[in-house]
Amino acid sequence: MIETLKNILEGALERLQQQMTTYLPSFLAALTLIFGAYLIATLARWLIYRIFKGLTVDKFLRQSGIAFLVDPSGGLRATRLAAGTVYWFILLSGVLLGLNVFNTDLTTQIIQSFVFLVPKLFVAGLILLSGTWLGQYLGRGMLVWAVNENFPSPRRLAAVVRILIMFVAVVVAADQLDFARSVFLAAFIIFVGGAVLAGSLAIGLGGRKMQRFFEERTEQTGDSERSLWNHL
Amino acid sequence: MDLSLPDEARRAAEVIRRADIVIGIPSYNNARTIGHVVRAANAGLAKYFPQLTAVVINSDGGSTDSTREAVLSACVEDSRLMLLSTPLVAAHRLSFPYHGVPGKGSAFRMVFQMAKQLDAKVCAVVDSDLRSITPEWIDLLIRPVLFAGFDFVAPYYQRHKYDGTITNSIVYPLTRMLYGVSVRQPIGGEFGVSARLIRRYLARQDWETDVARFGIDIWMTTVAIAEEFRVCQSFLGAKLHDAKDPGSDLSAMLEQVVGSVFTLMQEYAPVWQRRTGSTPAELFGFRFDVGLDPIQVNVDRMVQAFRRGCEDLGEIWETTLGKRTFMAVRRLGNSLGESRESFHLDDELWAEVILDFACAYRKHPLARGMILRSLTPLYLARVASFVRDTENLVADEVEEKIEQLCLTFQNLKPSLAARWNGEPVQGGGRRPQRERAAANEMDQTNVEV
Repeated sequence: MIETLKNILEGALERLQQQMTTYLPSFLAALTLIFGAYLIATLARWLIYRIFKGLTVDKFLRQSGIAFLVDPSGGLRATRLAAGTVYWFILLSGVLLGLNVFNTDLTTQIIQSFVFLVPKLFVAGLILLSGTWLGQYLGRGMLVWAVNENFPSPRRLAAVVRILIMFVAVVVAADQLDFARSVFLAAFIIFVGGAVLAGSLAIGLGGRKMQRFFEERTEQTGDSERSLWNHL
Repeated sequence: MDLSLPDEARRAAEVIRRADIVIGIPSYNNARTIGHVVRAANAGLAKYFPQLTAVVINSDGGSTDSTREAVLSACVEDSRLMLLSTPLVAAHRLSFPYHGVPGKGSAFRMVFQMAKQLDAKVCAVVDSDLRSITPEWIDLLIRPVLFAGFDFVAPYYQRHKYDGTITNSIVYPLTRMLYGVSVRQPIGGEFGVSARLIRRYLARQDWETDVARFGIDIWMTTVAIAEEFRVCQSFLGAKLHDAKDPGSDLSAMLEQVVGSVFTLMQEYAPVWQRRTGSTPAELFGFRFDVGLDPIQVNVDRMVQAFRRGCEDLGEIWETTLGKRTFMAVRRLGNSLGESRESFHLDDELWAEVILDFACAYRKHPLARGMILRSLTPLYLARVASFVRDTENLVADEVEEKIEQLCLTFQNLKPSLAARWNGEPVQGGGRRPQRERAAANEMDQTNVEV
């Protein structure tokens, strides 16, 4: 009995030792790689922060109006954003390299997916950013126009423009990432179809009301009064 | 040889070879009125400058109502009607479509190119929809350049108190504050220009901007004042003109005119930051009172437009206006709920609004159009306040009000310069009414106006 127990224990210890000798160096190597990546990421973040500060990128974005359009509150700091992006990119690359040390099918698959995904993620991010910018820009343009033209519910109109553009951006980004392509495409078709139908119904049913609205507006700005608008 | 001139214009210039005076008339579908303008120009040239050679050029934007035919067929007045002993000889009359961005600025460009080509000593430009133009206008626009050495003659009109509200509330006070020269109608539409100034205008590279459209008038005036050309004004009497295009849009006009002022403000920042106070440009012509077309205004509709602006444009104004100005505008908007009668956008708040917009325009180049268009409800609020303020006032008293506004703008110039240069604003923000009034009184005694 004791002999059997001893054999089992010895076997277990032997397997542990074998696994230790197989995986521990890889594990330590992975840890070293991750730690190295962490150091490089921290250094890169510091460097990028300094370089961007030196080049006054935030000032340029502020002065060129790009920052205002993407984030009107003025909270956007491109320096911090770029430094953070580079930091996490290097750190994530370090983790993947660390995983690669184990040389298993799973880790290889994860790395391959990541390598293929990065450019797509980058493009999708750009699409979303452009969509946000365009949505904000056109939404605000619509808001100002609707207020000046005395249109009803200007904020709703602006919100519709923003949502529509953001939705298109999300659909394109999802398509780029091959993520639920058919779901997004179907949703897009339903959305656009619905909007067209709603628009048609609104024009059909509310046409008379709209006509009255425009007539009233035209009457309000009669020729005698219009002279004030036109005399510079 | 200037390649941007249309071929037919170049050929005509080659035939005529040279002229002392060029009269430019921009047009777009003005067949109804342009004949009168051409006749007045011809009579003015024949009566006051018979010894000089002259050309009347119509620069047309593609009219479809036979405007160009009206120019070419306009008959010259009988010499006896003009009380002239010598026969009246008509000046050359030319009509060409201009190239480039459709607008008054592009039309002027072609006129100036022709004036340069013909080596003209002076060029006068007049609108094609004028009903009140007389031969004397030509004399008043040309004589100061030909015989008194001035480079730029701005018009000085008698206008209804509610006419020219963009001029009175924005362009005149702002231009005067910035460049220190008081030109009462900086965007009048009729100007006399010397050959030297024409060369300067043509050498500039910004013809394709808002200058090509409504911005041309303020652009011409500002370049002349800021670059220290000799500027004067001529009293022309009343300006009565044809009803404008009903489709023209106030926001677009504001955008083009105010945008041009703000753009030039950036270019000439070193100039205006050096200048203080203001002096009036010399005024020629015999001043007289005239009857004016009445102008109907609907104050309630303007206040309503402001209310809507307060409700919906807060997010834009918040990033455009300074914090204190924004709060003051909001308070004003909130006060509408209490009583519409007490609504009043005072001079100082209005001046601060305009200066904040100028700074925002500089700060956010990609959002300029939107920023300028969001000014419309505030502008209407200011016009509504002005109309209420001046309801029972006569012309001289209204002029006094406008003078007060100009002084308010001038008081704020140091804080504008500080903000422009990114320095902390000393004593910025809205001061108590009494303090402001005292400062204005002091300025009135110090500044020659």
